Amino acid sequence: MSAELALLALLGAPFLQAALIIVLPKPPGLRDLIHIGFSLFAAVCAAYLVNAVAHGESARIVLARPLPNVDLAFAIDPLGAMMAAVLTGLGVLHAVHAAGVVRAKHEASPSRLLAFLALAMAGVCAVAFSANLFSFFVAYQALALAAFPLVAHRGDEEARPAARAFLATLLASSIGLFLPAMIWTYAIAGALDFQAGGVLAGRVDALTANVLLVLFVLGIAMAAIPPMHRWLPASSNGPFPALVTIQALAVLPAGGIGVLKVVTFVFGPAMAQAVIAAQALIVLVGAGMVVAALIALSRQDIRERLAYSCMAQSLGVVMGALLALQPGPFAPAGLFAAALQVVALACASATLLMAAGTTAAITTRTKVADYAGLGRVMPWTFAGFAIASASMIGMPPFAGAWAKLWLITAAAGSGLIWAAALASVAAILTFTHLGPLAANALAARAPTDAFKRPDGASILLAAPVILAAAATLSLLVLADPLAVFLSPIWTPGAP
Amino acid sequence: MSGALLDLVRMNAPLLMMVIPFGGAALMLLNGSARLAWFIACGAAVAASVVGIDFAARLLSGATPALAIVAPQIHVDGVGAFAGALIGLALVLAVAAIGASLKDAGVREAPVALALVLCGAGSWIGALMAGDLIALIVAVETGWLAAVGLVAVNAVRERAPLNGALRMLSIGSIGTALMLLGAAMIGRASGGLSLEALPLAHISMINLAGAGAALVVLGLAVKIGVAPLHAWAAATLGRGNAMVTFGVGVLGVLGAASVLCRFASYAITAPEIGAAISAALAGLGAVSVVVGSVQAVGARNLQRLAAYAGVSQVGCVLLSVALGSPAGFAAALIQLVGFAAAATAFYGGAAAGRVKSLAMLDGYGQRAPLASAAIATGALSLMGAPLTIGFLGRWRLVEAGVGAGWWWASVLVIVASLAGVFYGGRLIERMYFRRANAAYAGDGGVWRVALGPALIAAIVAIGIGFAPLVLLRAADVASGMLTGVAT
Repeated sequence: MSAELALLALLGAPFLQAALIIVLPKPPGLRDLIHIGFSLFAAVCAAYLVNAVAHGESARIVLARPLPNVDLAFAIDPLGAMMAAVLTGLGVLHAVHAAGVVRAKHEASPSRLLAFLALAMAGVCAVAFSANLFSFFVAYQALALAAFPLVAHRGDEEARPAARAFLATLLASSIGLFLPAMIWTYAIAGALDFQAGGVLAGRVDALTANVLLVLFVLGIAMAAIPPMHRWLPASSNGPFPALVTIQALAVLPAGGIGVLKVVTFVFGPAMAQAVIAAQALIVLVGAGMVVAALIALSRQDIRERLAYSCMAQSLGVVMGALLALQPGPFAPAGLFAAALQVVALACASATLLMAAGTTAAITTRTKVADYAGLGRVMPWTFAGFAIASASMIGMPPFAGAWAKLWLITAAAGSGLIWAAALASVAAILTFTHLGPLAANALAARAPTDAFKRPDGASILLAAPVILAAAATLSLLVLADPLAVFLSPIWTPGAP
Repeated sequence: MSGALLDLVRMNAPLLMMVIPFGGAALMLLNGSARLAWFIACGAAVAASVVGIDFAARLLSGATPALAIVAPQIHVDGVGAFAGALIGLALVLAVAAIGASLKDAGVREAPVALALVLCGAGSWIGALMAGDLIALIVAVETGWLAAVGLVAVNAVRERAPLNGALRMLSIGSIGTALMLLGAAMIGRASGGLSLEALPLAHISMINLAGAGAALVVLGLAVKIGVAPLHAWAAATLGRGNAMVTFGVGVLGVLGAASVLCRFASYAITAPEIGAAISAALAGLGAVSVVVGSVQAVGARNLQRLAAYAGVSQVGCVLLSVALGSPAGFAAALIQLVGFAAAATAFYGGAAAGRVKSLAMLDGYGQRAPLASAAIATGALSLMGAPLTIGFLGRWRLVEAGVGAGWWWASVLVIVASLAGVFYGGRLIERMYFRRANAAYAGDGGVWRVALGPALIAAIVAIGIGFAPLVLLRAADVASGMLTGVAT
């Protein structure tokens, strides 16, 4: 199998997956088998691409040329390959978990739900492998459209306005901010291709660079930067499998990947011209991290609490990426911190949301006050929940700790001590809204009232949670290889 | 023999593009059968379209086609050839789709209505080939009156459209008066009414000529339904059947917008009055984009929504033309193609299920998947979604605008696209994420007649979005022949 074929398969197979799931909704076993099998296939393709990148191979597929000098093209690079591997790997666990949830909760229209989960995963892979700004824009909009049915899935009076808010925020910001920035870039550079070192490097004055950075970063609303974050709490109305896809595996990570790609391949690390806007945006995301963590503390519904918690983590990705625009030797550290933060966010938030989904499916409980003592009844699920909470907080040796360590190092090394302080405060607030919750679930007395399913979670619901939790330990051994793997993105001259 | 006949047809292509629809209309009026009239209309439309496409292809491929000079009033240019072929194609799709609503017009009235559709298309093509201002105005007025007649004929069974016809007549008369006054002022100031001579004419009274050209533009803007001169549009299109929506909402608007592009291509290249025309077009375009977008967002009737979205789209066309550069005209031509494809897909998808209100769209995706796909594609193109022709047109406009330093035009295009997200997203949400609350009105095989053209238009809208190079080249070549070609 060539790298081009693997890339094409990774991007195209989910469409076949969705079609088969829609065409073959019964028996449920076959439907779930298709869903899990194709998810596994995507993970294998992504792993193959990681290997190809590690061996210096390149691959590029061009689907169309919709504008002069602009292709609808996808190409492999270290950042995209790593993200795709992490997200599709977790996607396998999520596929198993989603199959369990739709069975346990008797979810309405399960085939439609699973089909759009698959399409959303194709969307995030397309975002990760986009070869230029136009392809990124198309993939971004396709992902928003694929995720829209997930939010609207229940079709009730709560879901419809939420879905409209979701789509309106994502599309309006991309059209109103990102698109003008893209056109402006095209006008300046005459091309939209992602280039190591930045397509704008040496081509823009300070004013243009600052305005463009603001337009690009705020235009990528999937990164949940205030005030473009409204889609994230709105998405809390979706069913749990949809939440995992939106907040952990597809939409929110796509925002982080997008900001990383723009900073790395459009501006280039340490682009001094955009330093004012970068610092202003760091203030915004730093304050946003703190406020989001505070709002999470005030929310009693686990879905809303996790939504704001994930938002605080996602803003950490943006902060890391923006730190890369600060002049000095710590620019690569910012990029590395952002990349690690995406991985940590995906692992921890997927675990938390799957654990919450399992809990809701088994006990029908979604209020944090009702979580007390559940760990005694569902020990595996809440062991995973506790590990993922520790990772979100930034406790070693879990993934979040290394990401935060690099983030604070990059901030302090760039002379932005206040940014490091904001990241630290956000971590403390994350502890306050997740730590006691996890501890209470494990340590309090077991609830005495009857459960929907007193026999506990099935293997489909429990195993993915604990395996995803185990993945949060991965950075303990993979951080150094990842740094080597990703180094081409901050090394000029690399593909 | 056949080769000689083909050569004769090719030499007289501009004339035939006009005459064939009129001939078809005359034939239809000779028989009383609605179905036979429809077949004749289809034949005439296809013939005019083939002649037009062949002519445009030869002209825009770089060849200089030999043309018979049959009347001094005929003058061929790039915009005219391109838009003439486009109207021919749109006519084929419109006539085919109208077959679904022959019963709506009434068996006796249907041949008359079809004849009026053909007359309208022939007139707009005539205006695109007109050599002087008087011929242009006569052709425009013929097309406009045909559109008024079409609306009135369809008011036989339902009285509401009669209000639309009366509005068209009264407002259109003002437009005609403005055009005639403008032509007289141009003639007085420049010493002639020839379009070909206008860019090079020695204009003795610059202000008079500028005001005259602006009045012609204003008169044409009335016929297009550009905001704020579009009072007739909602009354006519909001209550009309498929004949009205296709005959007026697609062909009429497309024809009038094309003629405006063509007139502007001569007026704007005249150094003395170019700036005034550019300012007038830019102002009209900006208002049209904003007003059309806002009204589309607030619309509750599907056809009104489409009409207002069209107003916004035509505003983008005017902005492109206002740039006055070949890049701007190329962007305008691409947007005209985009408008034709999106409007045909939109109205066709609605006609297939006889959908009028937004509420009737609920669950349409399940009840009529193909028709709803056509509407969704039309909506996506109107909002300028990537990989649709709507995106291509707006991109070219923004590119041309940025090149000319017109950043505000780029902002307006973004505003139009943002509004498109709201009204287009609302349509898609209703079709695909709501349960049906209305019975599906498609009956038997008739609805498929409307669906075919809608699907073809939808495929064109997407196909060109993916592979636009042929269209881009054709538009570039056409905009390079702004003031005519040597014959």
